[in-house]
Amino acid sequence: MTNLTDTLSNLLRELIKSFKILSRNTMGMIGFIIIVTILFLSFIGPSLWPPEASANVDDINLGVSLKHPLGADFQGQDNLIKVINGGRDIVTIAFITGITATLIAVVVGSTSAFLGGRVDDLIMSLVNIWLTIPKFPLLAVLATVLKLNDVVTLSLLMALLDWPGLSRQVRSQVLSLKRRDYVEAAVMLDLGTPHIIFRELLPNMMSFIAIATINTMTFAIYQQTGLVFLGIVPYSSANWGVMISAAERRGVLYNPQAMWSIIAPMGAIVLFQLGLVSFARSLDEIFNPRLRIGV
Amino acid sequence: MQPTLTVRNLTIEYATRRGKVQAIRNVSFDVKRGEALALIGESGSGKTTLGLGIVQLLPVMARITSGDILYRRQDKTGAPPLEIAALTLKGNSLRQFRWRECAMVFQGALNAFNPVLKIADHFRDTAKAHGALNGKSLEERGKHLLNLVRLDAERVWKSYPHELSGGMRQRVLIALALLLDPQLIILDEPTTALDILTQRNIMDVLQELRSKLDFSLIFISHDLSLAAELADRVATVYAGKIVELSDVQTIFKAPTHPYTIGLINAVPTLSGHKDDLTSIPGSPPDLVEMPSGCKFHPRCPLADEQCKTREPESEFAAADHQVTCWQWQKARGVLKSYA
Amino acid sequence: MTTVTRPTRFDLLTLWDRLKSNYLLQKIAQAIFVVWFVTSVTFFVVRAMPGNAVDILIQDLTLAGVSPEDARNQASLLIGLDVDKPLPEQYGTYLLNTLRGDLGQSYKSSGLKVSELIVQVLPWTLFSVGLSLMITFTLGIALGAIMAYNRDTWIDHLLSNLAATLDAVSPILIGLLAILLIGVTWKMIPISDMRGAMSPGMKPEFSWDFIADIFMHVRVLLLVYVLSTIGSWMLQMKSSTIATLGEDYVTVARARGLTDARILTAYVGRNATLPLFTRLAISIGFAVGGSVLLETLFTYRGVGFLLAKAILERDYPVMQGVFLITTTAVVFANLLVDFVYGWLDPRIRIAGGEQ
Repeated sequence: MTNLTDTLSNLLRELIKSFKILSRNTMGMIGFIIIVTILFLSFIGPSLWPPEASANVDDINLGVSLKHPLGADFQGQDNLIKVINGGRDIVTIAFITGITATLIAVVVGSTSAFLGGRVDDLIMSLVNIWLTIPKFPLLAVLATVLKLNDVVTLSLLMALLDWPGLSRQVRSQVLSLKRRDYVEAAVMLDLGTPHIIFRELLPNMMSFIAIATINTMTFAIYQQTGLVFLGIVPYSSANWGVMISAAERRGVLYNPQAMWSIIAPMGAIVLFQLGLVSFARSLDEIFNPRLRIGV
Repeated sequence: MQPTLTVRNLTIEYATRRGKVQAIRNVSFDVKRGEALALIGESGSGKTTLGLGIVQLLPVMARITSGDILYRRQDKTGAPPLEIAALTLKGNSLRQFRWRECAMVFQGALNAFNPVLKIADHFRDTAKAHGALNGKSLEERGKHLLNLVRLDAERVWKSYPHELSGGMRQRVLIALALLLDPQLIILDEPTTALDILTQRNIMDVLQELRSKLDFSLIFISHDLSLAAELADRVATVYAGKIVELSDVQTIFKAPTHPYTIGLINAVPTLSGHKDDLTSIPGSPPDLVEMPSGCKFHPRCPLADEQCKTREPESEFAAADHQVTCWQWQKARGVLKSYA
Repeated sequence: MTTVTRPTRFDLLTLWDRLKSNYLLQKIAQAIFVVWFVTSVTFFVVRAMPGNAVDILIQDLTLAGVSPEDARNQASLLIGLDVDKPLPEQYGTYLLNTLRGDLGQSYKSSGLKVSELIVQVLPWTLFSVGLSLMITFTLGIALGAIMAYNRDTWIDHLLSNLAATLDAVSPILIGLLAILLIGVTWKMIPISDMRGAMSPGMKPEFSWDFIADIFMHVRVLLLVYVLSTIGSWMLQMKSSTIATLGEDYVTVARARGLTDARILTAYVGRNATLPLFTRLAISIGFAVGGSVLLETLFTYRGVGFLLAKAILERDYPVMQGVFLITTTAVVFANLLVDFVYGWLDPRIRIAGGEQ
């Protein structure tokens, strides 16, 4: 138990230290601010700017104006309010998928690296095989057959499909850490597997794990937008993906006047993905001294 | 006969995060026709930088700030030599100078070969880049050289690098260095990563080559006993400067620089007792924050006030025996039993 | 060459070790295993799982007024399996049918064989995805190498940021953006040109008109494929090239006086590209996955379009067939890549050649 509390307090200290370094990295800071803003708007925003209940016939497909900073959609509803109210599902799914997939990957990858030999061989062969299967069609077929309609199950399914690639990276990371002196020393001193994993390995892999989680999140966003676009997971609420596919189906693409109702949700997704990626890249720069000089 | 290589007042700087560093400071020396010169020093003394500087393969943050390097190719007929000012070379002429005139065999030859090309391809590439031999004659010459370094030429010629052991690869690289018949070969720690038997083998090969072929050699090493075997003259390098330079007999029998004496006392001999072995106290200086005066003074048992404030100039202890030390006359007598 | 010696003690582990020792055999066995695995999973999902597709079909037919017995017969006919037989026997028949290329019949386009449906659309996907992969691979490698050679200059910063951005944004969004900008805002290409694989009335034949027509229709889709995958190639190639440039053999090659061109191609380029081949597997899967979305967006009648349509119509035999075929195609594309890789890298070159 002390192991765990120690790890947590260490983590907290590391986090504060990292944040200080991050504040000096412009790209990373911008990414971080974008992520926080989107989180805030998606979870607190809806209570400040609740969704409009009815259509406004006068405002249908209006362009950008003071009244509608991002235009209005085919029902005359304000795009900005819809964007604020449509982020929760996407953000939630991204986080659940990212974290679950990373957890599985860390467990499987480090087990494989630690046990080595035939177990390692077998696990990595299966992972390599898994990587060749085109994931999106599989996800689409499974989601259809399973009739998935709630956020959590969908996230878990995506995590279940997405972890193998990550676990391969975790494995090679653990293998290279295992060869470092301090880990070898801990093994020699027989400090016990929990100590080695929680005190020696995990703290040194935190940055890598954070980056991996973020990358999985962007991929999860891509997958779920795709599913919504194909009409496989029709959420009841209007999220960004639903907004895009609804607008596309109404031919907004070919109607320059109404374009804002597709640009608004697209912009939100792109912004979220770019925010995540520039945050991840800055983490990479901060923690990877070889890259630190460059970029 | 004129020397094959003349280096004058060479200074090489590195731009590091902590500021500019002089890795080589105003160094001058000659490599005579057919001789082997050993550059001996601890790691970080600048001896490898010196080698890389001659073929201009320094890393991007390094810069040659002053000095001249003159290379002379001459044949036995006594005709006037072909003179090349190495530092003025650029582009194609620099490329042609490398390996054809001056070949450098690097330390850690384990990775010296492109893993996707056969040994034969490495010979072919080298020959082609210099418009030299091709086809059958290239293969004959390549295999002849491989035999010369005591390898199974038929097998090695067709092998990929990963199919050869470390010692074999080092010998292949030496054979490759001989391909274009250069007049100067720089060997940078050619035996460092190898086990003692392989090391022995390489040294034997090098001695045999020296007796059979005509080339000058710069042998860079931290190992004085290896230098003693191969070299005609020895230069000890400390903090980017040559501190003592003389023929191998003099260096071993009558060294005058405290650093050289320290290095010799650190070499085990067959007859000597273990107690006689001493190491030099302290460690090589931090190049960014170099000590004042003589750079060796913090580690020198003879250092006095003058040593701490003024850097000595090179002087002649005898004809053909240069030393850079205020105390060399004292050192010769006092320092037989170091420490 | 050693002849096959019979292992005295035949068990799975020795077989496993023997497989591991032969690169080529190992890859082939792996490919066959994946295809079998995916086939079985589809069977499980469509037939064996509680609430599976066939049960639902029978239920739907019964609700529509068909007698339970007729419904079962009809379902059996459509999927090509006797639903009243025990599951293991159905599985056997299913594997045999699949091996023969019989993938059942479409629910919706009655009487149409799934295999025929797929054969009609498969060439378009192979064409567009294959072409885009080739373009992306070459272009990504070239740009990545340029970035590495000009490290920390403005050109590297520009390309690196561009690559990271392209890598981050979903293909579907890039597709939508392409239509918005190229078709609507800039009006560079008429939107009707972006739809379909060829113009109405065009006949597949080997003529300039036909080739020009299919390229006209595929160009925007191709652009979107390339844009959505090139980012990761560029970044990978950049870091791989930087790592290779630091290798001893590159320094030695310079010391040997080789020409820059020779060093760039045979020494840096070839070695820096090697690790990218192992990534091609993931990339092919990603591109095929993206085809479901992009072909739908551009109404490009390929396999992805067919799958999306089947999903919307809950046409299970078509879904199953398309998934099976795309996976098989990807698996064999990977097998091809593995062979090329084995040929390019002598360190893993196939055992049994010269010995």
